[in-house]
Amino acid sequence: MFASKRLGKELTKMHGKLPPGITLVKADDFQTWLMDIQVIDSNPIYQGETYRLKFIFSGNYPIEAPEVVFLKDDSHPIPWHPHIYSNGIICLDLLDRQGWSPVHNVESVCVSLQSMLTSNTKKERPQGDDNFVRYNTQRPRDISFVFHDNQV
Amino acid sequence: MSSPSPIPPPNDRRSSRSSSSAAPYAGDGILVGGPPGSPSPLALRASNSPSSRRRHSRIVKTPPEFQSLDYVSAPDSNLVCLICHTPFDKPVQLSCEHYFCRECLDHAWAPQASGRKTCPTCRNKVETDKDIRPVPKIIETMLDELVVKCPNTKAGCTWTEHRVNVNDHVMLYCEYTPVECSGTDCRLQISQKDFHKGCLHYTVSCDDCHASLMKKDLEEHKRNICANRKTSCALCSVEVLRLDLKSHINKDCPKHVISCQGTIVGCKFTAERAEVVLHEVNCAMATMAPHFREQQARIERNEARMEPLARKVGILEDGLTNITNMLYPANSNDQSFPVTDPLDPNDTDPQAPTPDFRLPPASFPPVPPGNEGAPTQPPFDSQVHHLLTLHDSLREEVSRIANALTDLDGRTNMMIINESQRAKDEMLHANAAISSLRMHLQWLVSATIHQRTTSAGSSPAKTAGSTNVSAGGSSATRATSARPGPSATLQGPFRRLSDSTRQDTKL
Repeated sequence: MFASKRLGKELTKMHGKLPPGITLVKADDFQTWLMDIQVIDSNPIYQGETYRLKFIFSGNYPIEAPEVVFLKDDSHPIPWHPHIYSNGIICLDLLDRQGWSPVHNVESVCVSLQSMLTSNTKKERPQGDDNFVRYNTQRPRDISFVFHDNQV
Repeated sequence: MSSPSPIPPPNDRRSSRSSSSAAPYAGDGILVGGPPGSPSPLALRASNSPSSRRRHSRIVKTPPEFQSLDYVSAPDSNLVCLICHTPFDKPVQLSCEHYFCRECLDHAWAPQASGRKTCPTCRNKVETDKDIRPVPKIIETMLDELVVKCPNTKAGCTWTEHRVNVNDHVMLYCEYTPVECSGTDCRLQISQKDFHKGCLHYTVSCDDCHASLMKKDLEEHKRNICANRKTSCALCSVEVLRLDLKSHINKDCPKHVISCQGTIVGCKFTAERAEVVLHEVNCAMATMAPHFREQQARIERNEARMEPLARKVGILEDGLTNITNMLYPANSNDQSFPVTDPLDPNDTDPQAPTPDFRLPPASFPPVPPGNEGAPTQPPFDSQVHHLLTLHDSLREEVSRIANALTDLDGRTNMMIINESQRAKDEMLHANAAISSLRMHLQWLVSATIHQRTTSAGSSPAKTAGSTNVSAGGSSATRATSARPGPSATLQGPFRRLSDSTRQDTKL
């Protein structure tokens, strides 16, 4: 109830205007939304690519953080980043239970991810990516990440 | 639970009055209410007091939720709570000067331990309740003065006012606020204005369109939906059935704005239908329009018919090319082949014999398929001619191949002769070697016999040895070579003989 009201407000606002590089792809219900983000400046790692984000909202949004992952398909790769696993799971404190705050919204999350990519200079995956991708069965919000990198 | 009059005090008066007078009331709210702000505390207290709740338990109205209110203009973004994204409802201020709705804060803090509350925006610690302060008066005033629409707008209410009054409006005055039905066992809701009419939650059927619907919706249905009721056209105010309204507007309504029929030819005149009809009488383009339309249709028809024909021609030409290629494989790739059109009037003598073995044109002149075999057609003669010349060339080819075959035969024979000659020589060599070996053997044998005879000194033994030797060699060649006799002194000339035979073979 709370979530759908708030998401409805966000949706009307996003239909009006969105920051550059962020587009709303699909928001048919108040459970799953798809967003596309592009890195605007000339970071060579992300030049000319579009990344697709999937937001999954719980009924308790915005008190609870949404689940945000990158989706991979033919035209949308998973961006290279030392905190983004190759299955699309993002290690960002903003999306964790501790780091989330109800004042964040879909747009602000997109902007944060955009700037996280913009500032990145390393074309690499997190340590232990292979193992994590192969053996992880948890949902992103149940994974306890250790947030050590304050550079991002 | 069937209390005699399940109506709260303010409505009580109104309802009883209207039911007693049995006349539909209008604008009763003004009579009852007084200034919008004043009666609310009283009324609320009355409806919330335990006694009244027991008595009027069935008319409980739900107060409007501020978060679902519809604002007339987009609210100032500074007055919007960052948690619910709507203008603040009972806002509070944290020590870090961030504002939130009280309720939103409680929601946000629900999962957090009481000692670890932080500001959702800046994560400043909120230690005690003292850190939660009321907002400045001016903020509250600004919020109060936001203009909202009545939450019952969909039901038909047109009220638009300051937000501070919305609660009173909905709870006291709005005729469209849903309340529980007055029927004793009915649990459905009904608009406030229809409350006194008793339970309207039974099914009726519309007299005009025979749709079945609830009594409470009948009026609305007749006014706005029923297709079989007359309605007036919004443009020309003619009365038509709602069913026919669309076709009336599209075909008849004199006020509907349409464009001149000559649009397809280029007329730019656009006006109400009545004017356009007058215009079309004089408009040259409108007069021509039907003709043009007919032409257009014909062109389209023809184009549609042409398409399969073109495809057919393509298929036929392909087939023809295949056949031509099969007949004349050598020239299949010759693009520069000069095509002589037998029907071309400039071509003075189409039947003149072609000097070389050129092929007929790959695509025939466009003659109708039925006439192709007619003997009077020039292409036919030229075909015969080409076939004849082709026949000649083929015959030449055959004779050339025959020559080549003979040649090849001779060469093969030569090769076989040479080969067998060499084999024969080899055999001669082998024979010579064998005979020389035999010589050696004979010499050795005779030497041994000689030795024996000299050691024994008896002549009969010597003759026996010589007969032994002649019996051992049976071939004629050996007999001639053995003729000189097996003496050790005659060995040299024998060897020279074998050498001379070898030289013979070499020559």
